[in-house]
Amino acid sequence: MDTFIQLVVDGLSTGSIYAALALAIVLVNQATGLINFAQGAMAVLSAYIAYAFTQAGLPVLLSILLAVVISFVMGAVVERFLMRRFERGDPDTAVVVTIGLLTLITGIAAWLWGYNNRQFPSLFPLSSVEILGAVVSVRSIATTLTIVAIMIVLQLLFLRTKLGLALRAVADNPSSAAFSGLPVGRLLMVGWGLAAGLGAIAGSLVAPQLTLTPGMMDTALVYALAAVILGGLSSPLGTVVAAWMIGILENLAAVYVPFIGHDLKIAVPFILIFVILVVRPQGLFGRKVVVRV
Amino acid sequence: MNRFSTLMRNRWVQLGLVVVVAALLLYAPLVLPVFANQTLIRIGVYAVAVLGLNLIMGYAGQVNLGQIFFVGLGAYVAAYGVNQDWNILVVFIASLVVPGVVGLLIALAAARLGGLAIAMVTIALPIVGVPLAKRLSDFTGGSQGTSARFSSAPDWTGLYNDQWQYYIVLVVAAAAFILARNLVRGKYGRAFTIVRENEAVASSMGISPYRYKVLAFTIASIFGGASGFLYLVAVQYTSPETLSFPHSIGLVIAMVIGGAGSIAGSLIGGAYYVLVPQLTNAIDPSFTAISQGVILLAVLFLLPGGLVSLPRVIRRLTRRRTTRSPQGDSPQTTPAEPPPADAAQEGPENTERQIRP
Repeated sequence: MDTFIQLVVDGLSTGSIYAALALAIVLVNQATGLINFAQGAMAVLSAYIAYAFTQAGLPVLLSILLAVVISFVMGAVVERFLMRRFERGDPDTAVVVTIGLLTLITGIAAWLWGYNNRQFPSLFPLSSVEILGAVVSVRSIATTLTIVAIMIVLQLLFLRTKLGLALRAVADNPSSAAFSGLPVGRLLMVGWGLAAGLGAIAGSLVAPQLTLTPGMMDTALVYALAAVILGGLSSPLGTVVAAWMIGILENLAAVYVPFIGHDLKIAVPFILIFVILVVRPQGLFGRKVVVRV
Repeated sequence: MNRFSTLMRNRWVQLGLVVVVAALLLYAPLVLPVFANQTLIRIGVYAVAVLGLNLIMGYAGQVNLGQIFFVGLGAYVAAYGVNQDWNILVVFIASLVVPGVVGLLIALAAARLGGLAIAMVTIALPIVGVPLAKRLSDFTGGSQGTSARFSSAPDWTGLYNDQWQYYIVLVVAAAAFILARNLVRGKYGRAFTIVRENEAVASSMGISPYRYKVLAFTIASIFGGASGFLYLVAVQYTSPETLSFPHSIGLVIAMVIGGAGSIAGSLIGGAYYVLVPQLTNAIDPSFTAISQGVILLAVLFLLPGGLVSLPRVIRRLTRRRTTRSPQGDSPQTTPAEPPPADAAQEGPENTERQIRP
């Protein structure tokens, strides 16, 4: 039972990281209708930026916050000068552009910092506490709580502020939004910036566990995409629940299913996707989209 | 220029060109140094993989980020077969059938979700594939990999090993290219195109987008398996590294740079996949990934049809300078027209693509 609680709490924490990345993907998808495969690579670059600040002697929290701000700008710039040109065109081309971006950003990170693992300082203490007789690491709990807090803030931003309303309007119908005088282009930049900032938080929180490498988020990206598929692209809440579910299930499967073990646990969301796609193609929480011709 | 293109349309000139190219390809390995032969072999290997990717991505319009998984699977199946002393023909067929069946199963699930779901599912293939290959060590030799020596030249040929391997790759790759060319020019190719362009129109014409996506994906997987077999012929060794994620992305990049929706572009893509990293590695290895990204983005911005559309773009530019006819050029992975050399025979498909909005 102790191990079980420990696994669930750790799973929730890694699931929260996937959830943050998945939410960033959903955010971009809602705004522009495309999947940004470079979201993970951008998060890695953000984590490297935070790492560079900590190396310069800044406290960890401040470094992460600075990285978030820089990432926001980076996301906005990428949208304006790279993606803008492809947004209205063929979606497949836009996907290939994000693949190019993924290669480019991974390349930049590898060029600047090399392929060697870098130790990223943890934001939270590495001690552990006892809950219901199980030993649980403080870092796991704190990571989960941080991500939950950020989600609440994002939710408030989208539902309670004018900026959020404008962002939702652009996501819902760009041309109508433009007719009502909304600066669609700038709002798209904000959407990409928010997504990049979210990715920066995910990258900085997961970096101490995985150690920084240019390919650090490749697997996390796959988990996040799995969460996006399972949750249904149209439902942020579904995505978060799916990410948590994946985080917990893969942890449990790694320990309790001998064949899967720790090396093959990435297959868990994949198998889950197959089952869900066959049984419920619109995702667990997604709405069935009716396409009009 | 104009006289040149009418000359190119002449059937006899085309036939003559084919004969000359075939003779050159047959004669080349006998005189080229070993390193050049090996490079040509690797180009052939990856051109087949890129060709398969082009069928699903360029023609059927479904982004596939996991093609390398099928290449690796084909190589592993071939290595296993060789080490079990199967007949070489059985090995070859097995390295086509197994990836084909796996591809079919994956496509049956992935194609159910429209849009980019295939991309999102297939990106997981190499990332799941590497630990899976390490785990199934009885079959794959674990992280050490497995070697299979079977492509040494038989004594009666009097050839060196690299020349013999070259001819195997040449025969299989040529067959693959001819099959793919016939496929995309026939009924199936037109069906793929309409599924890519507009799924609603496809279904209203009685063409099931789901079925054709699954079909295209399965065929792409079979081509991947063939490429894997050829990989084993060329390298005689395979390991989990063969199917790693960066390689899979590399194939997509090579396909787009060569020219999506073009058979000749796949060959250019294969050459790009082999030659450019070789070149950038020679300059500075840490520069390879950046240059790949920069080149891909540059091609998407400047030459959306890939390198294969370069002659057409140049011709259009020179024509525009003389007649000043304005022509819109929207970015897309799929070129609006086939390459110039094929333009003559592809009449019906041509018009079909021109009515695109």
